[in-house]
Amino acid sequence: MTADALILQAPLLFRAETSRRAPKRPMDEAKFEAFYRKTAGRLWSYIFRMTGNAATADDLLQKTFFRFLRSNPAIADENHLRHYVYKTATNLVFDHFRERKRHHDVTFDVAASPSAGVDLRHDMMRVFAELKPQERSLLWLAHVEGASHEEIADAIGVKAKSVRVMLFRARKRLAGILTQRGLAPEVRHV
Amino acid sequence: MSDRDPYEVEIDAWMQQFARMDDRRGPLPDASTLWVKAKLMQSAAAMERAGRPITRVQIAAYLCVAGGWAALVTWKWSALNAWLNSLKPAHIILGAAGAQTANSLSLTFLMALIALASVTVMLAFHTILAEE
Repeated sequence: MTADALILQAPLLFRAETSRRAPKRPMDEAKFEAFYRKTAGRLWSYIFRMTGNAATADDLLQKTFFRFLRSNPAIADENHLRHYVYKTATNLVFDHFRERKRHHDVTFDVAASPSAGVDLRHDMMRVFAELKPQERSLLWLAHVEGASHEEIADAIGVKAKSVRVMLFRARKRLAGILTQRGLAPEVRHV
Repeated sequence: MSDRDPYEVEIDAWMQQFARMDDRRGPLPDASTLWVKAKLMQSAAAMERAGRPITRVQIAAYLCVAGGWAALVTWKWSALNAWLNSLKPAHIILGAAGAQTANSLSLTFLMALIALASVTVMLAFHTILAEE
């Protein structure tokens, strides 16, 4: 499946169904592996974009799934589980930044680009790094994962009513950074 | 504010392009390894939780035995003190009232002493065997 197809499916992937009282069976290893195969790649990309460091992303991905398994998840609703892992990952990323701030280490880990071929990726990472962690999370969950305002609010720990205004501000800020750096997006209209 | 804010389209395009970039240079952590590690961590946490009441009972037992010794010594302090003094060389030479001291250490005291000593030894053995 191509990345484009995956992204187009994002709204379906993140749709949280209203709770059906389906019988809850604990997740076995096979179900977990299937869920992991579907979720881990995109979740890693999210954590990597948030932290800018591949090693940190690996570490936080593992911690996310450890917490997920420790909660003895049931397999009634996969979208709900997906929302839960994103929420857990977001909390871990925010904890990571708080910890680094405590140690006066607030730099974003964007590694130096070794070759000209990855300059665009490097530039985009640097632009994204200029946003606050909460702004990054808002934009990624809204635009890449297709999460609803309620899901975003639950994931980052704010009120659902605030998400619309916060998203507007985050988009405005990112647009300002892009204009300032002369890095307009390649596609103007979706 | 309108439903679709003026930056939404532009930012959506940029975010989609950003998301399409391939960042991973290595494989993801293995799912079965994560599963096993998580289950081991769960077992360790469960064992630690199960052991907590036993630890609390052990600490309470130590405190009770220590309190028992303190009470026994306090109860018969004067007699014990006199008995200790009777062991001094000067006291022996001068022929102190050793018979008077022996009478103060009653049968009740001796039984309490034996009982407390037994409990102390049992607690010590339990601690040693539990550690092993």
